[in-house]
Amino acid sequence: MNLLGLQTLFVKEVRRFLRVPGQTLLSPLITTSLYFLVFGWSLGSRIQEVDGVPYARFILPGLVVLGVITNAYLNSASSLFVMKLQGTVVDLLVSPLSYAEILGAFVAAAVARGMLVGGIMWIVGSLFTGFGVAHPVLALALLVAVAAGFAALGFLTATWAGSFEQVNFLPTFVVTPLTFLGGVFYSASMAPPALRWLTRSNPIYYLVETLRWSVTGRADAPPEAGFAVAAVLAVGALLAAYGVLRSGWRLRG
Amino acid sequence: MPGPVVRLRGVSKRYGDFTALDRVDLDVEQGEILALLGPNGAGKTTLISIVAGLVRASAGEATVLGRDVVRDYRFTRRAVGLVPQEVNFDPFFSVEETLHFQAGYFGVRLGTERLEEILQALELTEKRHANTRSLSGGMKRRLLIGKALVHEPRVLFLDEPTAGVDVRLRQQLWAYVRRLRARGTTIVLTTHYLEEAEALADRVAVIDRGRILLVEGKDRLLDRQGGKTLRISLTAPIAALPGALRALGARLEEGGGAIDVDAPPSGSFGPALAALAEAGLPVGDVETRRARLEDVFVSILGGGAGKETP
Ligand SMILES: Nc1ncnc2c1ncn2[C@@H]1O[C@H](COP(=O)(O)OP(=O)(O)OP(=O)(O)O)[C@@H](O)[C@H]1O
Ligand SMILES: [Mg+2]
Repeated sequence: MNLLGLQTLFVKEVRRFLRVPGQTLLSPLITTSLYFLVFGWSLGSRIQEVDGVPYARFILPGLVVLGVITNAYLNSASSLFVMKLQGTVVDLLVSPLSYAEILGAFVAAAVARGMLVGGIMWIVGSLFTGFGVAHPVLALALLVAVAAGFAALGFLTATWAGSFEQVNFLPTFVVTPLTFLGGVFYSASMAPPALRWLTRSNPIYYLVETLRWSVTGRADAPPEAGFAVAAVLAVGALLAAYGVLRSGWRLRG
Repeated sequence: MPGPVVRLRGVSKRYGDFTALDRVDLDVEQGEILALLGPNGAGKTTLISIVAGLVRASAGEATVLGRDVVRDYRFTRRAVGLVPQEVNFDPFFSVEETLHFQAGYFGVRLGTERLEEILQALELTEKRHANTRSLSGGMKRRLLIGKALVHEPRVLFLDEPTAGVDVRLRQQLWAYVRRLRARGTTIVLTTHYLEEAEALADRVAVIDRGRILLVEGKDRLLDRQGGKTLRISLTAPIAALPGALRALGARLEEGGGAIDVDAPPSGSFGPALAALAEAGLPVGDVETRRARLEDVFVSILGGGAGKETP
């Protein structure tokens, strides 16, 4: 195994996103703060509680899930896509790094960014809601799996994509709507039947609910469901990304 | 006796119906500089890319130091350095960081001494902390060469390494390439500057439309294909050649203002000069011209594509 190679690529990927902290770290921080000001505070004074959980505390897990997903996805997607565009992906392809090492380093760096952003959001949010977490280890495990899965999806998308628009397709047109319709701001059981049905057929809903359960100890869906979704997503996306990378599709002529 | 450093046997590459490489056999010997020459689209980059692992062959076998480039890629890629034809750079990092990262990918820690040597040889010391985006075109290309050298490859592929590099630096790069060879590095070079191939190469391979047309020692090739020409410029034109000169195969050129005499590379112009003195013609200037690789190259490719883009 080329441990130094793996480590180098990981460090390079992490430094890359730290070079543009405004875009990668500050912007999610501002967005979360805005969500809290608008939804948590102003609305919270009217909605007060959902399922016995204060509203601000109720919405935090969903926002963190959204932050982790988008940042993990965008990190590997934009990094690989820029490498393809600039031609620097050649530097990796001529090196003795194996496919697993390349994918591993990309995913690990993307998970690092996802967790960093998620962590920042959680700290900012907790200033409003308090820092208590019912199942911290499970919460972390869930988020790492979700981040890894979306990092691998980002890698896949960048391999395929021919333009930035295509790279942004998934977060803009799939992930964000699914997250907002995934019970971030409401409880499915309190929603009208059509929305309830829509929410419960949305896989991201289970991720949100399971994180909510890990933080508050209560949720609208069985916590196992979220872990199952995360595991299937992570394993499936990683295997798919590995297979595509190995096939050389769009990367190796 | 150790075998060739790079060995291609029956290597083909097809893109759909198009054949970019057609059953190529080629050996690159230990410690030589091989110039791979051919017109645009001949398949030079494709061939190099197969050995470096960027492109997969559709058929055939490529080995580096006896190991298969696909099955034993970890070994062969450590042995190979590639300076790609297309300039690339990572706008997030400095020259030094870029070199450190590239070494890391190869599982090597770039020591200070090695780093200094590379920066110096490529005249990038002053720019070591500069963002790669801020480098000039020629500097970016030099950085590419630096990246290919970080892991001290046994074989170095230079795909048009001096395109866009200024004259002084080109000379310096040639000197550095010779130094690398002196240390035992095997070098495969593609270039459209035939003067560069002539200055550096030990052997020349000519490729056209995916087929290797010829592989031969540069000197032998020039001897065999080329020759030399003596040109005598006259101060006043003459109407006809003196018989003695005509007997030596001389030609009248420039409307009678000049006489050309051809000879094989190791031939002598003594008899021609003697006949010239004998005839008492009004000689203005005498010069000899050796066949250049360019002439040979054009004649091998039979004009056509080769003429515009050697
Ligand atoms: N990915 C690809 N898909 C289709 N055709 C390709 C691809 N890559 C190369 N080719 C074709 O293969 C042929 C050989 O290309 P190659 O880049 O090896 O030429 P070259 O000898 O390096 O030319 P140049 O001197 O212009 O660099 C060309 O006709 C090119 O269009
Ligand atoms: Mg080329």
